[in-house]
Amino acid sequence: MSDNEQLMELYQQLLVLRHFDEFCYDLKMKDLIMNGFHPYSGQEAVAVGVCSLLRGDDVVFSTHRPQGHSIAKGSNTRAVFCEMLGRRGGVSQGIGGPMQWIDKPHNFFCGSIVGSGLPIAAGVALAFKRQGLDSIAVCFFGDGASNTGAFHEGMNLAAIWDLPVLYICENNQYGEAMPVQEFVPVSRISQRASAYGLNGISVDGMDVEAVLNATTDAVAQLRAGNGPVFIEMITYRFRGHYGGDPEHTYRSREEIAVWRNRDPLLLARTRLLARGFSEETLDELESNVRAEMEEDMEWALEQPFPTVEQATDHVMIPLGQD
Amino acid sequence: MARMSYRDAIRETTAGELRRDESVYLIGEDVGRWGNLFGASAGLLEEFGPARICDSPISEAAMTGCAIGSALYGMRPIAEIMYIDFITIAMDQMINHGVKYHQLSNGQVRVPVVFRTQGGVGMRNSSQHSQSLENWFVNVPGLIVAMPSTPADLCGLLRSAVRSDNPVLLIEHKSLYFTRGEVPEDDYTIPFGVADIKRPGEDVTIIATSWMVLQALAAAKTLADEGISCEVIDPRTLWPLDKQALVDSVKRTKNCVVVTEAPAEGGWSGEAASVVHEQCFAELRKPVRRVCGMRTGIPYGTDLEKAVVPDAGWICDAVRELLA
Repeated sequence: MSDNEQLMELYQQLLVLRHFDEFCYDLKMKDLIMNGFHPYSGQEAVAVGVCSLLRGDDVVFSTHRPQGHSIAKGSNTRAVFCEMLGRRGGVSQGIGGPMQWIDKPHNFFCGSIVGSGLPIAAGVALAFKRQGLDSIAVCFFGDGASNTGAFHEGMNLAAIWDLPVLYICENNQYGEAMPVQEFVPVSRISQRASAYGLNGISVDGMDVEAVLNATTDAVAQLRAGNGPVFIEMITYRFRGHYGGDPEHTYRSREEIAVWRNRDPLLLARTRLLARGFSEETLDELESNVRAEMEEDMEWALEQPFPTVEQATDHVMIPLGQD
Repeated sequence: MARMSYRDAIRETTAGELRRDESVYLIGEDVGRWGNLFGASAGLLEEFGPARICDSPISEAAMTGCAIGSALYGMRPIAEIMYIDFITIAMDQMINHGVKYHQLSNGQVRVPVVFRTQGGVGMRNSSQHSQSLENWFVNVPGLIVAMPSTPADLCGLLRSAVRSDNPVLLIEHKSLYFTRGEVPEDDYTIPFGVADIKRPGEDVTIIATSWMVLQALAAAKTLADEGISCEVIDPRTLWPLDKQALVDSVKRTKNCVVVTEAPAEGGWSGEAASVVHEQCFAELRKPVRRVCGMRTGIPYGTDLEKAVVPDAGWICDAVRELLA
């Protein structure tokens, strides 16, 4: 694949994530997404760049902001819309909601307790290592997670046992409403990796090609049996911590505008134009993606809600069948 | 039948499961070189090697999360939390994640993990190494909670736990490790949710688990000399709870005492008493009596730690008052 074709594919994925997210934002404002929606707009280059390098058998753990990672890992957009809306047909049948679902066919997990994924991802990697597989575990988390006990415990375990885990810290500059400079005493979160003997790096997380390049080396290293790897992706969320949060209380319009100038979609598009793609081609691609997402959303809105009986399905495997 | 200690029953059963199934491994603090604080995994490192007898750093969240993650992808970990008091560090991994994955995956993911730990008094370890915290876990949907009181029950329940695809918390008791009992030599399992009558009797049903079963049996012996016939029944798993066995027993004896080492408030002793009240109201001569640990941090020192949790004397007093 030429670089141009590859960038075009990445751009298409960026568009999918952005339009998916923006439709979700509207659904939240209309209260059709009931709660728990955390917008991913602005951070798409991270999910798209990293997940484009993964195989189906690699495992991803994500956060309370999981939709981008899940779709980039292969989840069906209709199923993710349904989960956001709490409908049957959702990835977790509408029982999990916008912050916690499992898409087993795509080996995707997420959850809404900040930092908790790091030890579990290490355990998945331990299983792969014991079984002699070259599959890897990838764990996405935010800047805020880097202050939790599970972050340090999990990374330490992965490091002492050389486990094939890719730790991706998405530093979007805020832990909920608190600026990262106020709660992390080092200038780069990647510096924290050095405490575990790892050479953590920081990458421009708005630039999908930069994400791709940094992650390519990391994935190769992990498949060769040398792990873990820690990468901090410097990024920014364009919308609030959750859909509709009082963002004027913690950041200015000017700040948001500065980061929007480095919109990952804009960067990719500018590069594609420079490489000879026409405005018309890119506009058509975007309108097709948007129409497809709208169609998926409309489909999801037609789906029924789970029954009350389903609320207690699968709490555990029935005794005797376990 | 072989006569062995509770501690040795853990070791023999663990070794048997490790031999039976290559995906089983033991992970915990000092389970390898030390062979566990009490010797419950002594010698296993030599037989099975460090990949299967896995010494974990003192890092309960990491170790527990690691066990859960590996269980998602083909392994069957036994994760040992050295003291149940340390489980607070591991609870997010267990309760918010491991126990919920089956439901969140619409039944597609299984988490075959055993959390083994030990609680209770008996080693003068004071308030952060002696608690009885089982009640917290009975309230977690999706988690099986087992508390074997004898070497034979330990073997059967631990085998069931390792072979189950559901997450299981198996709580041992530090005062039980060096108690001994007859253990059948075949590869038997004990299903979850099946109580066992440890001593049949006619006048009163004493419901107890773990170390308190031994206290109840001692009380029953004393009371027998006074002409009181006690039935001692051990639920063996707190969830699922064998309600029918409790009800059947109380319908016969018409009197009931529930014993726990943990404080009464918010605990399964209340659940057991409630089941009995709901289903044996007509038969009961008097309301159910509870004999529970004092609502205090466990104090240091032999005399004080013994003073704050039930023993046979407390149980005898309760039974005498109930039958008076």
